Amino acid sequence: MFYRRAGIRHTRYEDERQLFPLTFDRVLIIAILVLLLSAPFWVERLYLVGYMVPWLIWSGAALGLNLLMGGAGQIHLGYGAVIGIGAYTSVHLVRFGVPLELAMIAGGLMSALIGSIFGAAALRVKGIYLAMATLAMQYIVDFFTQTKIISGGSLATLQVPPVSFLGISLKGDVATYYFCFGVTFLIALYMLNIRRTSFGRALAAVREKDYAAQILGVSTYRYKLLAFWVSSFIGGVVGSVLAVAYLRAISPDQFHLELSVQLLAMVIVGGLGSVLGPFLGAALILFAPIVLNNALGAAASAFGTDIPIDLRAHMPLLAYGLMIVLFLLYEPLGLAKIYDNFRKYLLVWPFRHAQK
Amino acid sequence: MEMNRRKFLASTAGAAAAFTVPGMTGQVFAQEKIVRFSFPQDFTKIYTFVTSEYSQGQRDYITLVNERGGIGGYKIIADVSDHANDLPRAIEAYERAKREGAVLIDPLSTPVARALVPRALEDKINLITAYSGRSDAADGTVFPYVLPLSINYWTQAALIIENFRKMEKGDLKGKKIVFVHIDTPFGKEPLPILDVLSKRLGFTLQTFPYTPPGNDQSAIWPQVRRAQPDFVIFWGAGVGQTVALTEAFRNGLKMDRVSSSVWLSESDMDVVGRANAKGVMKVEPCVGGRSPKIIKDILSDVVGKGKGAGPENKVGTGYYNYGVQMASLMVEGVRMAVQKAPNGPVTGAWLNEGLTSIKDFTAEGMLPPTTVTKADHQGGGMGRIARWDGDKFVPVTDWYTAFQDVVWDEIRKYAEEFKKTGK
Repeated sequence: MFYRRAGIRHTRYEDERQLFPLTFDRVLIIAILVLLLSAPFWVERLYLVGYMVPWLIWSGAALGLNLLMGGAGQIHLGYGAVIGIGAYTSVHLVRFGVPLELAMIAGGLMSALIGSIFGAAALRVKGIYLAMATLAMQYIVDFFTQTKIISGGSLATLQVPPVSFLGISLKGDVATYYFCFGVTFLIALYMLNIRRTSFGRALAAVREKDYAAQILGVSTYRYKLLAFWVSSFIGGVVGSVLAVAYLRAISPDQFHLELSVQLLAMVIVGGLGSVLGPFLGAALILFAPIVLNNALGAAASAFGTDIPIDLRAHMPLLAYGLMIVLFLLYEPLGLAKIYDNFRKYLLVWPFRHAQK
Repeated sequence: MEMNRRKFLASTAGAAAAFTVPGMTGQVFAQEKIVRFSFPQDFTKIYTFVTSEYSQGQRDYITLVNERGGIGGYKIIADVSDHANDLPRAIEAYERAKREGAVLIDPLSTPVARALVPRALEDKINLITAYSGRSDAADGTVFPYVLPLSINYWTQAALIIENFRKMEKGDLKGKKIVFVHIDTPFGKEPLPILDVLSKRLGFTLQTFPYTPPGNDQSAIWPQVRRAQPDFVIFWGAGVGQTVALTEAFRNGLKMDRVSSSVWLSESDMDVVGRANAKGVMKVEPCVGGRSPKIIKDILSDVVGKGKGAGPENKVGTGYYNYGVQMASLMVEGVRMAVQKAPNGPVTGAWLNEGLTSIKDFTAEGMLPPTTVTKADHQGGGMGRIARWDGDKFVPVTDWYTAFQDVVWDEIRKYAEEFKKTGK
C-alpha cells in the first residue's frame, strides 16, 4: 500500500537509474518540497526565522561534511574553520562591493583552496591521525581569523552590508528563507546525484579501502584531494550564506571548534553517507535543546511547580544527552536509518518477515 | 504488556509531542498593562560563573517592583531562558522575545550581544549589554538601541590605574605595572587604554597573556614575579580569575598591590581561600553586600515572603548586586518612560526615551550617580575600588571616574569605524 512497488516495471535503463524509482517516494518528496516552498505563507515568522532558516543552513553545511565523512570516509574536525573562511572571504568581498553571487563562489573557492591544503594531510595519515591534522587546521585558521586584517581587531565583529541575490534584496525574511532554501536544495540535489557518478563511486571505493581502490585503478591521491576540495567548497558557500542570511554580523568565535563538533554530531547522529541524515541530524542537534527547554518551561508553569532556573537550564541538557545516547544505542547508523527501517517495514506491509 | 522497542519509541515520541505546546508561557498578565523584558542568558556554558547570581538579583528586584504595584500601573514581566552562549539558540530567543512584544533584551554574553547588535538596531529593541558586548556601544549616537548602562572595560582599566596613582601619592613615573590577561579579545580589550596611560603617566607596562580558559597559568606567574612589578592587574573571567589569584599568592606577590576588573566575587574567594586572597582589589560598579536599602527591602519583602528567585545566601553577593543594579536601571528607564508618555504605547522606542533620560539615579544609595543620555550610554563611568579583607569586599575609595577623555577617544574611534565600515 505505502511505497508500492507492484506494477512498476522498468523497461529502460534510465527508469531504473532515476533518483526515486518508486512513485510513492516521488510524491512524498514533492509534497515535502511544496510544504517547504509554501512555508512562508503558513509558518509563523518566529518559526521561519528562528527555526527553518538555521535548519536549512546547518543542513547544507552538514551535507558538505557528510560528503567527506560519509562519502569518502575522511574524518574532518575543522569544518567550522572551513565555513569561517568562506564567511570571511565573501563578507569582505561584499563589503568591497563585489556582487553576492560572485562573493559566494569566491568564498567557496577560498575555502576549497585552504581546505585542500590541509586535506593533503589525508594523503599521508588516516583515521585518528587525520582527525588530529584537521583539528590543527581548526586552530591555525582560528589564529589567523583573530588577526586585525581579517576580523577587524579586538572588537572583532564584521557587519554584513545589505545584499541582494540575483536582483532580489535579502532584507526581508521571506527572501532570505528562499535564498537559503535554494542553496540547500542545490546542495542536496548534488549529493543525491553524486552517488550515481564515477566520482561518487570512486569516493566510495576510497572510503571502503583506499589501497584496494588504488589497485583497481582509482587514484586515491586524486580522489582524496577532490573530496576535500568539493566538501570545502560547499562549506565555504554555506559559510557565506550563513553570514549574509542568518548571522549578519560575523566574529571569529562563531566558527570555533564548537561549530565543527556540532556539525560532526549532526552528521553522525543523522547518518553517515545518507542525504536525509544531515537534515534530520541538524534538526535534532539544533532544536532539541530549544524545544526541550521550552517544553520544560511550559510544563513547569502549567503545573505550577517552581523549578529553580539553574536546574531548569540544565535539565534539558540531561534529556538531550540521554536522547542522543538512546538514538545511537537503538540505531547506530543514525536517524536516517530509522527512517529507512520504517520505509523498509512499510515496503512489505501488511505482510511481515518472519520474526524471532 | 511487553514493552518492545517500537512501543517504547512510540510512547516516548508521544510524550515529547504532548509537552511541546509552544506559547504557553507568560499569558498570565495578558489583560493588564505590562512591560516585557527578555533575559535569555547563558546558564550552562561559558558565563555560568556569573549568570545564576546575576539573574537571581534581576528577578528579585523585578518581583519587588511588581509587589509594590509596578511602575505607574505597568507590571514588568521578565522572561528568563537559557541560550547557552549558542547563536542559533540566542537568535531564536531574540525572535521569540520580539514576537511576544519584549521591549528590552539582556543576553549577558559578549558573542551573543555582538551578533544581536544589527538586529536590535533594526528592530528598535533595547539591547542591554551590561559588562559585555562592544565597549564602543557607549556612544549612543552610533548605537541608539544598544545600552551598556555600566562601566565598560576601558573605564574599569582607567579606574584601576587611577587608584594605583592615588596609592603612589599621585605619581606613577618609573613604576612597573604588569597586566596578566586571558588571550582573547575580551582579555586584550584594556590594552589600548593602558598603552595611552603608560605614556601619559610614565609607568612601564608589561603584558603576559595566558591561553584560554586559563586553568593552567603556572608558566606565567613566575615570570610576573621575576619582572618585580609594583602593581599587577589580572584580567579574565570565571576559572581564569581564581587560578590567577592562586598563582599570584603562590608566587609571593604582594596581594594588596594586585587588582582586577568587576569579575571577582565572594565565590571566587572561597575557591582561592578567603585568607589567602586578603588585600586583593577589584572594581565595584555598585555597592556590594547586604547594606543597601534595596537589598534589605528585597530580603524582607521578597525573600522573606518566600518569593525569592534563588537561595537566600546568595543575596548580597557581588554578582547578585550587579543583577539588582542592572534591573534597577531598567526599571528606572520604565519610570522615566511612563513619566514622558504615561499611556505608551509600550515599544522599544518608548522605553529608549526613558532609558536615555535617567538622571543622577542612585537606586537609594546602591549605585554611583548614573546619568544616561542619548550620547552617553555608559552612564557616566563612575565606580570605586574595593579591597578583600578576608571576609568581604570593603570599599577603599569613594565613587570616582578617571581618564574619561582617553576612554571616550577610544569609544569614538571604534564607533566611528563602525559607522563607516560596519566593523
